[in-house]
Amino acid sequence: MTVQMLSTKAEQAILASFEANAAKLPGGAAVAALRRAAIGAFASKGLPSRRVEEFKYTDLKANVKDVLPLATGGGTGDAATSLGAHFGPEFAANAVVFADGRGVAAKAGVTCLADTLGNAPDWVAAALADAELSASSDLLLNTALFSDGAVIDIAAGAEVAEPIVIVATATDNAMTALRHVIRVGAGAKATIVEIERAPEGSGARQSSALTQIAIGDGAEVVHIKVVETHKGSLHLSHWQVNLGANVTYKPFQMTLGEGLARNGLNVLFNGQHSTFDYGAASIVHGTGHADSSLIVDHKVPHCTSRELFKTVLDGQARAVFQGRVIVRPNAQKTDGKQMAQALMLSPDAEFDSKPELEIYADDVVCGHGSTAAEIDPDLVFYCTSRGIPTAVARGLLIESFIGEAIDKVEHEGLREALGGIARDSLTA
Amino acid sequence: MLEIKNLHVKLADEDKVILKGLTLTVPKGEVHAIMGPNGSGKSTLAYVLAGREGYEVTDGDILWNGESIIEMEPDERAAKGVFLAFQYPMEIPGVAGLTFLRTATNAVRKKRELTEMTTPEFMKFVKEKAAKLNIDFEMLKRPVNVGFSGGEKKRSEILQMAMLEPTLCVLDETDSGLDIDALKVVSDGVNALRGPDRAMLVITHYQRLLNHIVPDKVHVLADGRIQKTGGKELALELEKSGYAEFTGKAA
Ligand SMILES: Nc1ncnc2c1ncn2[C@@H]1O[C@H](COP(=O)(O)OP(=O)(O)OP(=O)(O)O)[C@@H](O)[C@H]1O
Ligand SMILES: [Mg+2]
Repeated sequence: MTVQMLSTKAEQAILASFEANAAKLPGGAAVAALRRAAIGAFASKGLPSRRVEEFKYTDLKANVKDVLPLATGGGTGDAATSLGAHFGPEFAANAVVFADGRGVAAKAGVTCLADTLGNAPDWVAAALADAELSASSDLLLNTALFSDGAVIDIAAGAEVAEPIVIVATATDNAMTALRHVIRVGAGAKATIVEIERAPEGSGARQSSALTQIAIGDGAEVVHIKVVETHKGSLHLSHWQVNLGANVTYKPFQMTLGEGLARNGLNVLFNGQHSTFDYGAASIVHGTGHADSSLIVDHKVPHCTSRELFKTVLDGQARAVFQGRVIVRPNAQKTDGKQMAQALMLSPDAEFDSKPELEIYADDVVCGHGSTAAEIDPDLVFYCTSRGIPTAVARGLLIESFIGEAIDKVEHEGLREALGGIARDSLTA
Repeated sequence: MLEIKNLHVKLADEDKVILKGLTLTVPKGEVHAIMGPNGSGKSTLAYVLAGREGYEVTDGDILWNGESIIEMEPDERAAKGVFLAFQYPMEIPGVAGLTFLRTATNAVRKKRELTEMTTPEFMKFVKEKAAKLNIDFEMLKRPVNVGFSGGEKKRSEILQMAMLEPTLCVLDETDSGLDIDALKVVSDGVNALRGPDRAMLVITHYQRLLNHIVPDKVHVLADGRIQKTGGKELALELEKSGYAEFTGKAA
């Protein structure tokens, strides 16, 4: 006899949505089988609850009450509008837009996954079937439901000067699922930016974006994500990252707003002497909830990982940082450091920080730190004694707090755009 | 004119009384020095003048140009010309020195109904003032005071003072931590601001500073009150005799 867990209304609605849409979803027989297997596994696991360690503070089973209808295309969107005011035309010119779950504005060098699935290259097919993705039910759900996504294949040695921008938009009251599959060849250099905006005034939205990125030996990759949520919006992001040897990978994630956002990031060090240099800035308002949960897996020796997470919280906002760092028995000379800092603008805000160092090697340097503090009244006094009004002084101090994370972004245009978005959110 | 009348100050959160009826007048155009033993309340007086939270004025008043300032916010006082050079200047990580100076300069100018400075105007102004104080301009691109040596921090305070053009300058041990050359540079900077419209209150432990910034009067603060007032020669006397006479009186 099999014991069936009682499923929630939302879980049942997801299963029904899959059945109703399965025929419309792109892909041949192999992909259809993959989807069917994924939804089967999802059915037995259900939405992640707080019992799943990676969702300890973001219980989707309890939080997701309603399931919006799945959108699989038919939307419109242009890059400039979707990017918002802070990204200049040079970004719009390099942007691929996904509206309501389907690519609408293309860009050279980016293929739409839905268009290639019938005859997908081996590396894409292999990525889609990555067994690592069957561990968590949020990822299973993406596999079952994704309707499109970007396929980016950067040749070995290529230096892509301009950032490649992927923007997702959706109409209200829709659910979307995108899968991006990226391969960066050995020695290549590229910057990839993902933008997911549910701007002020938008209604309920549910979106999932799963990005798989495999980075070849000696490549340098900057990978940025901006998630703007709004009351009633839910965004589930996950990055599955595989690093070769001598790689420099610099992810930066910015999460803003009043909705519910979760940024999962799993990085696997497969080759020696690679660096993972992560930065994150989140500004969460009202009853918003932003979760960043990382799993950094040092499988090989001589790699470096850095994480700097900063969050500003007001109202009853809640931020979560889970930084799990695994150092495998042979991963000697691992150098791992982690810092998570919250600036609490309200007594009702909450910051949950959970560093988790699992160290099985003995010759390593690993450390972590975590702070949650209010604005320092002495610094406010120092500023006001110089004539700066209190509100401006507080703004300056908050901006500088979050700016320390944003400063990790070296590309000037991107750093300024992110700074502008952060300022808007702070003064909202 | 600065008029401090019978000022009584205690800590807001504790019963500790620090100033116990301090009376002091500094006319415009004059420089007065305050000397006194450690813990006698000199910095407290400076903070209360600038409007720091945590202190409660239980009696007395502070008038600047005839107007009581004790209810004013620190930024309002700054706009009225009050400036405190801190004994321990604070570090502000993440805020570039130039951003800070520009925000402060323009905030004060705006409240004084002067036009705000444009970027080129501001840059010219700050470069000129920094050069006079031997401050490396590159340092101002770094976060405010972060990683500065003790002496660099003190010079940075005087640069802020020069930029904000205050009319009541309170210097709390600006000389401590300065090397001999820097003491000269900083004193020149302070002296450059002396004028018929400015009053200055210089807190120091060392007579040496007063050779450079020659005071009109020297006051001895002990046990929360001005115990003695004299000319610049009082500083020399104190150098010899110490504060025993005053602390004895206090005990
Ligand atoms: N915020 C505070 N909390 C607790 N005690 C305080 C506070 N501010 C001042 N005091 C106490 O009040 C007294 C006066 O301090 P203040 O800093 O004004 O002295 P000072 O004359 O400037 O000394 P110094 O010459 O050492 O700089 C000291 O005993 C000090 O410990
Ligand atoms: Mg003092």
